[in-house]
Amino acid sequence: MKLPILTIVMTTIFTGTMLTMISSHWLLIWIGLEINMLSIIPILTKNQKPRSTEAATKYFLTQATASMLLMFTIVFNAMHSGQWTTTNIDPNNMIVSLTMIIALTMKLGMTPFHFWVPEVTQGVSLMTGMLLLTWQKLAPISIMMQMFTSINSIILLLIALMSVLVGGWGGLNQTQLRKILAYSSIAHMGWMMAILTFCPSLTMLNLLIYLMLTIIMFTMLNMNTNTTTLTLSNLWNKSPTITMMILISLLSLGGLPPLTGFLPKWVIIQELTKNNNIAMATVMAIMALLNLYFYMRLIYSTSLTLFPTPNNIKMKWQFQPKKRSLFLSPLIILSTLTLPLSPVFSTLN
Amino acid sequence: MNLYTSFMLTTLIILFLPLVTNILYVHKNKSYASYVKLSIVYAFITSIIPTTLFIFSGQEMIISNWHWMIMQTLKLTLSFKLDYFSILFIPVALFVTWSIMEFSMWYMHADPSINQFFKYLLMFLITMLILVTANNLFQLFIGWEGVGIMSFLLIGWWYGRTDANTAALQAILYNRIGDIGFILTMAWFLMYSNTWEFQQLFMLDNNLNMLPLIGLLVAATGKSAQFGLHPWLPSAMEGPTPVSALLHSSTMVVAGIFLLIRFHPLMENNNNIQTLMLCLGAITTLFTAICALTQNDIKKIVAFSTSSQLGLMMVTMGINQPYLAFLHICNHAFFKAMLFMCSGSIIHSLNDEQDIRKMGGLFKAMPFTSSSLIIGSLALTGMPFLTGFYSKDLIIESTSTSNTNAWALLITLIATSLTAVYSTRIIFYVLLGQPRFISMSIINENNPLLINPIKRLAIGSIFAGFFLSFNILPTNIPQMTMPTYLKLMAMAVTLLGFVLAMELNTMTNNLKLKTPSSMFKFSNMLGFFPTTMHRPIPLLNLYMGQNMASSLLDLTWLEKTMPKITSKTQMTLSTTISNQKGLIKLYFMSFIASALMMFLLIS
Repeated sequence: MKLPILTIVMTTIFTGTMLTMISSHWLLIWIGLEINMLSIIPILTKNQKPRSTEAATKYFLTQATASMLLMFTIVFNAMHSGQWTTTNIDPNNMIVSLTMIIALTMKLGMTPFHFWVPEVTQGVSLMTGMLLLTWQKLAPISIMMQMFTSINSIILLLIALMSVLVGGWGGLNQTQLRKILAYSSIAHMGWMMAILTFCPSLTMLNLLIYLMLTIIMFTMLNMNTNTTTLTLSNLWNKSPTITMMILISLLSLGGLPPLTGFLPKWVIIQELTKNNNIAMATVMAIMALLNLYFYMRLIYSTSLTLFPTPNNIKMKWQFQPKKRSLFLSPLIILSTLTLPLSPVFSTLN
Repeated sequence: MNLYTSFMLTTLIILFLPLVTNILYVHKNKSYASYVKLSIVYAFITSIIPTTLFIFSGQEMIISNWHWMIMQTLKLTLSFKLDYFSILFIPVALFVTWSIMEFSMWYMHADPSINQFFKYLLMFLITMLILVTANNLFQLFIGWEGVGIMSFLLIGWWYGRTDANTAALQAILYNRIGDIGFILTMAWFLMYSNTWEFQQLFMLDNNLNMLPLIGLLVAATGKSAQFGLHPWLPSAMEGPTPVSALLHSSTMVVAGIFLLIRFHPLMENNNNIQTLMLCLGAITTLFTAICALTQNDIKKIVAFSTSSQLGLMMVTMGINQPYLAFLHICNHAFFKAMLFMCSGSIIHSLNDEQDIRKMGGLFKAMPFTSSSLIIGSLALTGMPFLTGFYSKDLIIESTSTSNTNAWALLITLIATSLTAVYSTRIIFYVLLGQPRFISMSIINENNPLLINPIKRLAIGSIFAGFFLSFNILPTNIPQMTMPTYLKLMAMAVTLLGFVLAMELNTMTNNLKLKTPSSMFKFSNMLGFFPTTMHRPIPLLNLYMGQNMASSLLDLTWLEKTMPKITSKTQMTLSTTISNQKGLIKLYFMSFIASALMMFLLIS
C-alpha cells in the first residue's frame, strides 16, 4: 500500500480509538468505534487475497452488528433516562444493561460471539493480526471500564467463564499459530472480564501484560514469517535467540510463575476469592492449564525436540534479519521478568 | 518318686546326645548309625523305669523346668506332662524306633549320606517326644511343627526325583491347612481361657464353645490324614521305607489322634463334636479301604491301610473312648511298622520292585519275611488274641453297643471287612503263586540287621496286645455284655472278607481281560479326589488374584478412570469447539439465540 494512504488509514485508526477513550458522551463513543472499524477494513484487505477479503467481510459484519446494537442501547438509554453520559447507565434497566453487554462482548470477541476471531485472525497477515488482537481491544475495554458499576455481574461472569473454557478447549486442536493466538486472546478476554465488576484496575493490569505479550509474540513470529507449528520447528537453526524468546514469552502467556504472566492470574484469583467466588476461580485456574498445555506443545516442537530435517538445513548461511521489530527487547524484559515489581499494581487506579 | 524326673530326663537327654556330639567324633570306632541305634536302646531301657513306676503306683507327674517368658498374663514354661498317655507311648515309640533304626542300617547301607538320614530320624523322634510330653499347647505346637518339617525332609530324601519333591510339598501343604485349625484353637484358648496349659484348660468350664474343638478336629484331619486332607499320606510313600515305617504308620500320623485324645475331657461333654468325629472317621476308613483295594504298589496299599486304621481311631474318639483309641495307637504301631519293614525287605530283595503284579512266589524264597508279613496282616485284621484283637475288637464291640449313628457303624464294619480283603490281596499277589519277577535278582534275607528288628516286632505283634492290656491301669470299663451276634460281628465280617478275597483272587487267574468298570476306576484313582481338588482350587485363586490386581486395580482404576477419561474428554471437547463451519449465517443465528437466552435468563 502506498505510504500516504497507509498514513491516513493508520491515523484514522488511532483517532477512532482515542476518540472513544476520551469522550463521555455516548454518541461520540459510538462515532469513534465506527471510525475505527471502517478504517481497519483496508488494513485487513492489504494483501489482496480472497481469504483476506473473506476475513474482512466477516469482521465487518460482526462489528457492524455490534455497533448497531450499541446504538440501539444508547438511544434506548437516552429515551429512558434522558441523558447521554457514559457513567450514568441505569443498571436496573434490563434491556439496556443486557444489550450493552452483548454489544461490547461482541466487539471483543468473547463467547458466545467468538466464532469470528480465529477465522479473521487466520485470514490476515501476522502484523495485521497483531493489530486486530491488540489495538482493537482497547476501545471496548475502555468503555466497559467507564461503566463497570452498571454491568450485570452474573451475565458478565457467565460470559467470561465460557470464554475461558472455549479459549482453552478450542486452542488444543490447532497447529496454525495465528489461530492459537486468537484462542488465547479469547481466553485472556475472559480473564479480564471476570474481574471487571470487582476490581477494574486488575482488568487494566491484565490488559497491559496481555498486550505486551501478544505484541512480542507476533513480532517474533513475523521475523521468520512462521505461521504454522511446522515452520516453527525449523527455527532452531535460523535464529536460536528467537527460539529462546518464544519459549519464555509463551510460558509467560500461559501464566507460569515466576514470570510476569503469572501476576494477573494471581491477583485475579485473589480478588475472586475475596468476593467469595471460589468455584469460578477454581474453574478458571484449571482451564488455564489447557492454555499452558498448547503453549507447551509449541515449545516442545521448537526448542525441546528437534524434528527430523534434511542435512542441508543444518548448514544454513545466517543472514541478517530484515524485518522490523518494534521495541522487542524492552517488551520481552517487561513481560517476563517483572514479577518482583508486582506491588506496583496498587498504584494503578 | 524322684526317680521319675531323673529317669525321664535321662531318657530325653540320651536322645539328644548323638545330635550334640556330632562335632566331637566320639564315635570313631563304630559308625554313626550304630551309635544312634545304641542311644535309642539305652533311652528305651531308661524309659521303661518310669513306665513301670507308673504302672505300679498310678502316679502321674508334671515336670515344669524352665520359666520361658511371660506375655502379659500368659506364662510360658517348658513343662513335661507324664501322664497315662505319654508314659505308655514313649517306650512303645522308642521300641519301634529302635527296630526301625536297625532295619534302616540294612536298608540304607549303600546310601552315601546315611549319617544325615539317621540324624533326621533322630530329630524326628525328639520332636515327636516333645509333642507327646507337652503340657501346654505352645510346646505341643513346637513338636507338631517339628514333626511336620522332619516329615518334609525325609519324604523328599531322594530329592533328585520330582515325584518325591512334590509329595514332600504336598505333605507340608496339607499339614499346614490343619495347622490353621490348631492356631485357631490356640488363639481361642488364649483369649477366652487365658492359658495354654492343659491343667487350667480342663479345670475351667467344660461346656465349651464348638470353635476350639473344631479347630482341634481340623488339625487332626490335617495331621492324621482324615478325609478331606488325606491325599498326602499315600504320596508320602515316595520316601524311603524306614521313613514310611516310622513316620507314616506309627508315630507322626497318630499325632492328630493323640491331640484329640489329650483333649478328651473337653470333648466328652460336646455331643456335636463327637458326631463330627464319628462321621469323619467313618468316611475316612471306608474311603481309604476302598482305595486300597485296587492299588498296585505294595507301599501304597499299606499306606491306605494306615489311613483306614486312623479313621478307625477317629471313630473310637467319636464314641467317647479315648483310652481305647490310645490302645489302638500303641498296638497299631507294632504291626504296621513290621508290615512296612517286610515290604522294605521284599522291595530291596527284588531290586527295588514295588509293583505287586511283578512279585509272586516269595513264600518259599523269603520264608521269614513272608511269615512276618502274614503275622502282621493277621494282627491288622484283628485275628483273635493277636495284638490287633485287643484294641480293634474292643472298638468294634463298643461301636456296636453304643447308641450312636447306625450308619457310621455300618460303614466301619464294611471297612473292617475290606481290611481283610486287601490284606489277602497283598498276601496272594506277593507271596503265593508262581514268581513274576526277574529271575536274576538276589533274594537274600539273611542279614541279622534285617532279621532281628522284624523278629522283635513280630514278637511284639503277637504278644504286645496282651501285655499292654493286662498291665495298664483300669480306665473306663468296656462293655461286657452284649448279644452273641454282636460279639462275633467283627470276626464274622473279617472272615467274610478273607473268603471273598481269596475266591476273587483265584478267579482272576482264569479271567479274560476286559476294560475296567467304573467302580474299579473310582477305587484306583483314589476317588478322583486329587484329580479334582489339586488343580482347580489354586487355579481359581490365581485367576482371582490376576483379575483383581492386574485388571481391576492396575488397568481400570489407576489407568482408565483418571488419565484416559480425562484425556478423552478434553480431546472430544476441543474438537467439538474448534469445529467451525465458517458460515456467517450460522454466526448470526448463534448471536440471536444467545441474546434471546440471556434475555430470558435475567428477566
